[in-house]
Formats: sequence, structure tokens, C-alpha cells
Amino acid sequence: MASTACFMIVSRNDIPIYEAEVGTAPKKEDAAHQHQFILHAALDIVQDLAWTTSAMFLKSIDRFNDLVVSVYVTAGHTRLMLLHDSRNDDGIKSFFQEVHELYIKILLNPLYLPGSRITSSHFDTKVRALARKYL
Amino acid sequence: MDPVNSTLGRMLLDEITPVVMVLRTPFVEESSQKNQLSFIEMLSPFCNFNNIDVPVRTASDQPYRLKKFKLRLFYASDIRQPNIEVAKERLNQVITDAGEKDLSNLSSEPLQIESVLNSSQNEFLPSWFQYFNKELVRTVSFSEHEAFDHPVTCLLAVSSRDEDPINKFVDLFNINQLPSLLNDGSMDPKMLKHFVLVHDGVEVPLERATKTLAEMRSTFGANCCHLLCINSSKDGSEEHENLWSAYKTDISHGQQLRCFLSSDDLDELKKFVQDLSSKHIIPHMEQKIRLLNQQVSATRKGFRNQIKNLWWRKGKEDAPENPAGPTYTFSSIESQIRVLGDYAFMLHDYELALSNYRLLSTDYKLDKAWKHYAGVQEMMGLTYFILDQSRKDGEYCMENAFTTYLKIGSSGQRNATRCGLWWVEMLKARDQYKEAASVYFRISGEEPLHSAVMLEQASYCYLFSTPPMLRKYGFHLVLSGDLYKKCDQIKHAIRTYKCALSVFKGTTWRHIRDHVHFHIGKWYGFLGIFDVAIKNMLEVLACGHQSKTTQELFLKDFLQIIQQTGKTYEVPKLQLPVINIPSVKVVYEDHRTYASQAAVHVKESLWRSLEEDMIPTLSSKSNWLELQSKMLPKKLRESNICVAGEAIGITIEFKNPLQIPISISGVTLNCEHSPAVSEPNANNSIGEQNGETSNKSATSGNCASDTSSFTLSEADVALGEGETVLVQLTVTPRAEGTLKIVGIRWKLSGSLGGFCTFDSDLVRKKVMKGNRKSKRSTFDNLKFLVIKSLPKLEGFIHHLPETVYVGDLRCIALELKNPSKIPIKKLKMKVSPPRFLQIGHKEDLEVQFPACLERKSSKQRSLRSKTDKVSDDIFSFPEDTSIADGTPISWPLWLRAAAPGKISLYLSVYYEMGDISSVMTYRILRVHFNIEVLPSLDVSFQISPRPSRLQEFLVQMDVVNRSSSKGFQVHQLSSVGDEWEISLLEPTKVLPSDFLLAGQAISWFLKLKNCRSVTDQDSASSLCPSVKADVNLLCGSEMVFDLYSSPLSEFHHYERVHQRISDQEHEDTVDFILVSRSQCEENDRANIFSHHICHRSVRTSSPIRWIIDGPRTVKRDFKEPFYAITLKMIVHNSSDDVVSIRCNPSDSAVNISSSGTTSAASGNEVGWHDLSLSNDIKITPDTPGTRVVKPMSSDPVPSFIWSASSSTHFTLDPLSSRETPMEICVFSPGTFDLSNYSLHWSLSSPSDQRDESRASSGTCQGHPFYITVLQQD
Repeated sequence: MASTACFMIVSRNDIPIYEAEVGTAPKKEDAAHQHQFILHAALDIVQDLAWTTSAMFLKSIDRFNDLVVSVYVTAGHTRLMLLHDSRNDDGIKSFFQEVHELYIKILLNPLYLPGSRITSSHFDTKVRALARKYL
Repeated sequence: MDPVNSTLGRMLLDEITPVVMVLRTPFVEESSQKNQLSFIEMLSPFCNFNNIDVPVRTASDQPYRLKKFKLRLFYASDIRQPNIEVAKERLNQVITDAGEKDLSNLSSEPLQIESVLNSSQNEFLPSWFQYFNKELVRTVSFSEHEAFDHPVTCLLAVSSRDEDPINKFVDLFNINQLPSLLNDGSMDPKMLKHFVLVHDGVEVPLERATKTLAEMRSTFGANCCHLLCINSSKDGSEEHENLWSAYKTDISHGQQLRCFLSSDDLDELKKFVQDLSSKHIIPHMEQKIRLLNQQVSATRKGFRNQIKNLWWRKGKEDAPENPAGPTYTFSSIESQIRVLGDYAFMLHDYELALSNYRLLSTDYKLDKAWKHYAGVQEMMGLTYFILDQSRKDGEYCMENAFTTYLKIGSSGQRNATRCGLWWVEMLKARDQYKEAASVYFRISGEEPLHSAVMLEQASYCYLFSTPPMLRKYGFHLVLSGDLYKKCDQIKHAIRTYKCALSVFKGTTWRHIRDHVHFHIGKWYGFLGIFDVAIKNMLEVLACGHQSKTTQELFLKDFLQIIQQTGKTYEVPKLQLPVINIPSVKVVYEDHRTYASQAAVHVKESLWRSLEEDMIPTLSSKSNWLELQSKMLPKKLRESNICVAGEAIGITIEFKNPLQIPISISGVTLNCEHSPAVSEPNANNSIGEQNGETSNKSATSGNCASDTSSFTLSEADVALGEGETVLVQLTVTPRAEGTLKIVGIRWKLSGSLGGFCTFDSDLVRKKVMKGNRKSKRSTFDNLKFLVIKSLPKLEGFIHHLPETVYVGDLRCIALELKNPSKIPIKKLKMKVSPPRFLQIGHKEDLEVQFPACLERKSSKQRSLRSKTDKVSDDIFSFPEDTSIADGTPISWPLWLRAAAPGKISLYLSVYYEMGDISSVMTYRILRVHFNIEVLPSLDVSFQISPRPSRLQEFLVQMDVVNRSSSKGFQVHQLSSVGDEWEISLLEPTKVLPSDFLLAGQAISWFLKLKNCRSVTDQDSASSLCPSVKADVNLLCGSEMVFDLYSSPLSEFHHYERVHQRISDQEHEDTVDFILVSRSQCEENDRANIFSHHICHRSVRTSSPIRWIIDGPRTVKRDFKEPFYAITLKMIVHNSSDDVVSIRCNPSDSAVNISSSGTTSAASGNEVGWHDLSLSNDIKITPDTPGTRVVKPMSSDPVPSFIWSASSSTHFTLDPLSSRETPMEICVFSPGTFDLSNYSLHWSLSSPSDQRDESRASSGTCQGHPFYITVLQQD
């Protein structure tokens, strides 16, 4: 498992709807905002790249020092973004695909308003379990 | 874009130009200092030629004309590698100066991102970047591995004032004074020399100068000597400062240069430099290129040379590797090629330059002379750029150079920076801003301050890229700001963050927002610009998503800034605590007044429905004439009315979003009060005008001036982690007029004031969206019309228990008080629900309870008729009731806990004012209270008809004590109604004690008789003795409660209404009331519990009942041939319909139900139906002890037959009886069971009128009837 990893789901309106620190490294105070900054800035790259390929998984699209940003864009242009420091493309791809499935299940909930924050604790535990499995 | 005209092109034409080393005597310097210029400064304006137009030939004799040309002049002392520390100092100074300049617009608002995008690159980019970059590039000038900084020419200047000028010239070029770079062999000391005699026109006569010139010409050669006349102007008033302004940085504008240079002097200077360039330097360089080119061609060009070279280099590989790479002197062939390349570059012969650089780069690479290699790669990249060919190669070269510089360690760092800057410019010139930004990012190395500048430039690259990458822009600005802060350049830090704010403003990425706002706020605090600091800090206060330590830090720093200001600030958008504005609840009393807080929270509709009949409605009860006078002005009716002296309460929800406790003090309402308009009838426009003006005058919440008009309550709240607290605030208007609640204000941690206005547009919009149905939102309701004070009734309930058991009947007292002088009258009252609460009579308060319920023999049962009339009527207090001056009156209420659970009871009192003059004629007091009802006795009844009697029923009463601990004493069971008589089957006494303890159950068996006989139905009610309706179940107690006495009968009525099963009221039901008492433990009061079980039907499934009557024992002489025994059958129709009945006797004996059931009569036995049969038999006195059961099925011949009217058919009217005769013939003595008949009944009325559950026809088997026939003696 990666020592630093930050997973985030960004809605089509560029609003973060889910975020989780899934790394094994002890949490640092300033890490949270740094991760947000990096992922936020990476959206600029996604915006260009997303339309150049038909694949949902965009691989590593941006990096900052030794942190790499991998992105998966769903059909509804919701972006699953992962900031990580390990290079395990296959694992990340599987992770994204499974989280995508979970996300679809969330969307199927008639009480969930698309684009709003995901507060389901079940989703959270599942994502963290997937992170342990694949990253 | 022509690469030459790009930024980089111009930069290269500026920077990569021939260097002229200047040697001068002190007198030369002194002469030029008269003009406050150094010698170089004096010459430099003329060193830049835009169109020099000199013909040049390339190495291969291609002629071309040189257009742009520039000379760089340096004193010999400056020709050395710049001191790193000094350079750094200078750069820092540049940055600091730039920061100071920006101070003016530091506190301005951040730009809107749209305007940033629309502004052109030049106006947005800070201008000092260019300057800074140039300075940064210059820190690596005169490096030994590059040749373009090597001096091409040496200019020796001697003043005409100098003694012995010829010797001075010789002295100047003394080898010892020359720069070390020339001496240690990295630069060629043999260079073109030019001798200048500077003639100061004032000091020395011209003749002497010309004489010296002649001497010089003879000594050094005619061509390379020159006379330069300066300072020919006498008064020093010449003005040419604009010439030098670009070259002299340290003069401030407006300072007049004392210039002794006449225009002739300037012309001469210009001519001198031009001559120097075109006639000496350029030809010299051209010549050198030619020479070097021949040399290089001879040694390096051609196949043979290349092989030789390769072989030779290979051999060098074995040599021990020098970490700095091999050193090359100027005479080495590599250096010569480099010089050739650089000269060609300077003379714009780029093809030649490129070919030489290419040649050189392979050599250096083989030699592992990395720095040289990188330098050559760099130049190759630049040459590609200028030639505008093969972009890829150019970029590759730059990349290669950059990485190579970085590879050689710290010494290459600054070279890498320069290379990067050129690379960036290259990319920018081709609009590759995104790539440029990443190069800037790579340049930012160890030096934090330089990195900061680079990152900032990177951010602008992102901004100018297409499409603009705003998020990257913001991110790099923040990165740069952090570095600026690290280097104590707070102003720059603020500037970058402020730019970043325009991107991040209103972002939903909360950590980003918090970081930016917090830091910028903190830095403004450092600078003492507190208002902006506070404004930014406010944004991050409600940071519930941050960790606890961060929250503490935010709050601590924020409060620190507040303290530093030394003032108490009031801010409109304080997010701490979070105020839940939709939760705002306003409680005010107009004509509706409330006895307690609990009453306030009851739905208005509930009260409305309760008070419907009590309140006089203006429109219906008065005619149109009255209506006009009574009607309030429209304005008054539309706004809310409150009474002076009565508090308006507001409940607001405060929420602490943080994980740390915060304290809030001095929470008050913000109110505006405008005094009453003199004429209430004044038309609307005047009223509004008045309102407006007074609003202006009465400053909101300024309590000091407004004490007379209203008083405010103040609350202090301590909010724990994540706590939500409801704060109750009141405002009490004192004077008539209009009161408007504007908002709320509070103080956070005792230092920062916050206020919040309720009717901001945003809030209003939200509210309107939320409940569009309600016409008026809460915020329209915050305006009150204050009318003069009125009497207000206060109500309390005395002796109100919190918990009671089901069935508990008790008297509670309602106390009403009017503290005002003005009396109130015409009191009316209504209670709800009536099943639980009844209004008593005034005398009920005095009488003893429960003795008052006891039946007095004399008492007439006249109340019964009244009971039926009890309805939802309004209770009016006696006419003369008038309350004033605080004298209380009490009124009894009966409370009966009818059902378990939490029960809400409502009570509303209507009253009218004693004086008519007031705006409100009536008010209503609303009282609401809750009681909890616990389960007690659970009573159930089972009723079945008694087979042997038509009008009698057997009743089983099961009583279970459902309470958890309490014991009850069952006292009395009564059946309600005149037609029922009830009695115990046998007196039971099974309880060990008198009390039924918790969880215990008991059953009683009772006999119920309908005394309304079939025949004389009308007279029955009066005749029946009423005493029979009650059964005293408690031995030894003689007290009988009168169930028709006041509260019980009313409660029974409502119980009946409540327990009604269907709308159809039929007579064959019976109501029971069980009265029990509890163990009296708490006080001496004996609690009475009444349990009402209503509408118990006595019907069975078939509508008919019948019995056979006749002799039981018959003696007969069997010798007579034919003897009939006559019986009669009485059939009763208990249904409401006409029934047709057919009696079918059958001769074949039907073996009906087991007649041999053992009889064991016991009152406590279960198994109801069989038991009744055996009971029946036992009671029958004539039954013989030994019963003969005839096995009828085995006997083929029946011993009796039905005779005569064996089969009858008749109809019965509803609720009527009929007798039919029956006859049997008996042939032998014995005991016979006459049950082998059946009755078929069918309802004759149309079936669609009745409910489906009941059958319309059926067959009943006959009851067993035993007859014993004996032989007559």
C-alpha cells in the first residue's frame, strides 16, 4: 500500500463530493491542504486530457515532486482522482473501476442528489477497504 | 513571429555581443565624473546600433550586411566572475524594492478572475520580473567555458591631463593589472587594442592634446589612436539626461544632470564608437573568424581528421578523470572552435556558429567536460531558435543543457537557471506557455527566494496559456507565496496570495479556502492592516472539517489579531457560531396569549379548531355599519400586533461547528422602534413616510437612546464541541408604535462582535423557496405594531399530576389571575379532548372526593337526561365573573385518564376587556399541559347467551393488572342503562388480599339480565329497580358509586362516543363501568379509577334464540295406544329485521354434540360453551342423578316421533317473540333427548342494506331437551 495516498471524487461542477486520506503514512497537519491543492490544480490537466481519449482511466496525468495524480473520468464527467506516491498502474486501475461501481450504486439511491456530498459511511468503509486491497 | 524580434531574440542580441575591456587612468574617470557619469556610462548610449550597416563576409565569402550591433563595455576590474554573495544581495534588493513599491495597492480587493483573464500580458505581469531575470542571467557572466564574454577589444583611455600619456598607455596594459581570467589562460590576452586620448576641453589646451595624439600615432600606429574631446561646454547647462536614463539606474527622476557635454561632444562620442565598431572591431572579428575557420578546417574537417580526432580522444579516456572536467586553455583547439562559434554568433553568421557548436559538443561529450558540453548545447539551442528551424532540436538541446548543468552539482545551478530562463523565453516565444511553466518550476531550486520568483512567473505562464489553467495558476501562486513568506518577503507573499484569492474565491475545496484565507489574514495582521486581516480570517472560522488543533490555531490567531487592534470590531458575517436562520421562531402575544412555553409550541391550527366557536368573527356577527367602525386600519391588520409591556420572544438556534468550546456573550436582538403615528386613520403613504424617517433616526439596537421604547434581554451562551443551543431572547416594547426586529448581535469570546440581519435578501429567498405556500415568510412577520397595554389573563393548573394510571379520576383546579387594573369579563372556556378533561361545577371544589360520587338514596336520577345532551359546547363562566387586580379565581376541572400514553391536554379561555376603547376587544388564554398515563387494569368482557333463559346472559369479566407496581382494589361493576340487571353468579372471594397486585389477573362470572321484557317493552325502564344495575365486588364495603353523578356520566358519554364501533346504534349492547381504587400510599386521597367498557354486544351469530318449554317428567300409561306430549317452543328474534323461521323436526335421531360431558361446576373454570350446558343441567332441579344416554344411532326404531304440527313456518317481527306448540308421541318409557330438530331462519329484508359479515340465512340445530317418561302405575 502506498504510504501517501489521497482519494477524491470531484463532481462535474468541480466540487469535491468525497475525500479520503487512504495512505499508511501518519497524517500530517499540512498534508490535507497540500493534497487538495495538487488535485485541484490537476483538474486543469484533466480538462484537456479527458477529451483526447475514450478510455475512462487516464493514468498518471500530473505530478508534483514525487506525488503522482491518477484520474478516472466517468461518463458523467465525475472525476475520481487519486494522489499517490507508488507506481502501480494496474492496482490503481482496478481500484478506480471498483470505486466507480460503488459510486454508481450511490447514484442509484433515489435519495442521493447527484453532485452532492457523499456521506454514506458504507461507501467510505468500502472505499478504504478497496484502497487497502489495491494500492 | 520572427525569432529575432521576440523577447529572447532581443535579449540575445543584447547579451551575446562583443565585450570591450576598458582601461583608463584616474583623470579620465574624473573628467567624465564632472557629468556625474563614469567613463563607460558616458560611452554606453552610443554602443547600441540599430542599423550599423557594415558589410561582412562569411567564412565562405558570402557577403551580407550587419544591421544590429552592440558593444558591451566593461572595466578590466569587472571582467571576472561576479561574487555570488554580492549578486545574491543585489537580487534580494531587487525583490525587496519591488515589494515596497506594491505596498500602495496591498489592501485593495483582489481582482475578479474575468478581469485578470482579459487584461493583457504586459499590463498584468509585474515589470520587475524582466529586470530580475536579466540580473539573474548576469550572475553567471564571464564564465571560463563560454567565449562570448571574452573581451574582443581593449580600449585604453588616457586623459590629456595625464603626465606622459605614452607611458601611461603602456602602464595601463600592464599584465599584472589585467583580470585574472586573462592571466590564467582561459581568455586570450592578445586582443585588438585601441588607444584613446580623452581631452577635457576646459582643463588642458587642445594643442597639447593634438601633440600627444601625434606622439601616440607614432608609437602605437596611426589607425588605433583616437582623440576624444569631452566637456567642451563651459557652463554645464546642457541637458541630455534622457540619453542616459536607461543606463544609469541610481539617479532619481527629476534630478538635473550637470552636463558639460555639448552636442558637438556627443556627436564626437557617437562617431568614435561607431568608428570603433565598424572600422576596427567588426573587421577584426571577421578576420579572426576566417583565420580560425581555416585552422579548424585543417585540423578537424575531413574524414581523416575525424578518425584521428576520435582515436585521440579515445586515448584520453584512460586519464584519471577530473571532477570538473578537463581544463582547456584559450590555445586549445576546443577553445578555438568555441571562440569561432561565438564570434560567428555575434556577427549573426548562425550557420557557421551552429556547425562549430555541433562539432564541439561531440568533443566535449567524449571528454566528459560536462560544463563545457552544456554550454555548447545551450548555444546550439539558441542558434536553432534564432534560425527558427528544427524546434524539436532546439528544445532538445536546451533540455540537454539544463539537465547537464544540474548534473554537475551546485556550480552548475546558476548556469542551469540562466539556461532555463532562455529556454522559457524560447517556449514563450512559441506560445508554449504550459511547457514554459513547467520549466520555470524546474528552475526553482534551492534558493527559496529565487524559487519564489520563478514559481510566480510559472503561475503567470499558466494564466496566459490557452486555455488558461487557472487552478494551476492559483496553486503556483500559493507555492510561491509560501516561499516568499519563508524569506520574509511578506508583501510579495500577500501579493501572490491575493492573486490566488481571485481564483480560489468561493471555492468548495475547503482546505484550500481555509489555507489561503488564513495565511493571507495572518500576514495582513503582521503588517498591521487589520481590517483586511479580519475580513480574511472570518472566512475560516467555521472550519468544522479541520482537525481540532487547526481549529484551535485558527481561533487563537484570529483572537490575537483582534486583540492587537485594541478595538472591538463588529462584523456582519461572523460565522461563529452558526445561526440557523430558518429555525428562528417568534413568539408574541396579540389576542392570543399563552399560559406557558409549552402552549406556544402547539400548532396554531389545533388552537384554531378549539376556539372556532368562541371567537366572535367580525364579518359574521356584526352588520356592515358596525363593521366600518370596528375595522382596524388595513395597515394594522396586516402587521402583527403586540401589546406594550408584553415580551416578544425569539428562539434562535446557535450551533458551534468546531470541536473546541466557544463562549458567546451578550446575545441580544437588534430592534428598531418608531413611535406611534398620531392618527391611525392616516392614509398609507403618510404612515410609510413616517416609518421611514423614524427608522433612520432610531439607530438599530442603540439601547442607550431607546431605553424608553423597548427593553432587550441579554443572554450568555457557552457552546461545547459541536453543540447546538437554543437561545431565547426577548424584546419588550414599552411604548406604542412600530417595532421591528432587525437582527441579532452577539460577542464572540468577549472581543469580537457579530451581527446578523434576519431579512437579508439571501435569507428571504431561501425561505420563500422553502415554503412557498405560506404567504408571509417569517421575516415579514418581524414587524410589530405595538398597541397600548391591555389586561392579560394568567392561568395555572393546580394539583396537576405528572403521571397517572389509566382510569384515574381526579379533580384539578384551574387558577386564573389578571394582574392588571382593568377588569375582564365574559369569560368562556373550552377544553380538549373531552374524553380526558371535563369542566366541573364551582361547588366541586368544596366537596369531598370521592364521597361526592357516592349514591345517595334520595337523589333522583334526573341527571341522566342531561348527560345525553353533553356535547362539545363551550362552557361560559357565570355572567358576573370579572377578574381584576390580581385576585385569582379557581375553577375545577375533572381529569380522567382514559387511555395510556402521553396525552396532551388543551384548554383555552376567552375573555373580553372591561373597557371597549382598546384596539383589541377580546383575548384568548391558551393553556396546554401534558400528562403521562400508565396502564392499570385491563378489563375485558365476554358475553354469551344463557341457553335456558331467553333474556339472560352469562358474563365473564377478566381483569388483569397491567401496571408495573401498583395494586388495585376492584370495587364495583355497573351496567349502564335501565334495561340491564347484573348480579354475580355466586359470590366469589378468590383474592388473597383485597388488592389485585401488579401482573395478577382475575375473572368474575356474572349474570346479566335484560329486564326489558318482550311484551311490556315500554313500561320496563321505569319499573326496573335500578339498584340491580350495580354489583359490589368488594366484600365489606357498602359504598356504591353513583355512575350518573356529574363527572362520571359525562366521561361515560365520551367513552361511548369514542368506543363506538359503527354508526349503527342498536339496542342489544351493554356498557359496563368498573370502578376500582388504588392502594393509597402517597397521600390520604383515595384514588378512584373508572374503566368504561361500552357497546358490548349481547348478540350471537344467529338472529334467533329459542327454548323448548314443557314438562320434564311425564307419567303415562303405555297401554293406551296413542299419547301425545305437548311442548311449546318460544322463539325470539333479536335482530332488527323480520325473520322467517321454519322448524324441521326429523325423526331420525341426530347424534348431536357429546351429551355425556362430565359436569363439574366451578366458577373459575374455563371452556365456556360446554360448561354452560352442564351448568344448565345442574341447575335444573328435576334432572335425575343418573342420566341415561341413549345410543341413538344404534337403535333403528326411534322411541318417539314428532307429531301434529311437526313442521311449522312463521315469520317474526324484529325484537319480538312467539310461541309455537310442539308435540311428540312416546312409545316406551325412558329418558329422551328431543334435540333432533333444526330451525332454519332467513332474513327477509333486502340483503344489500346490511353489512356483508352477517349471514342472511342459516340453520340451527336443536338444543338438547330431556324428557323422562315413566310407566304409570
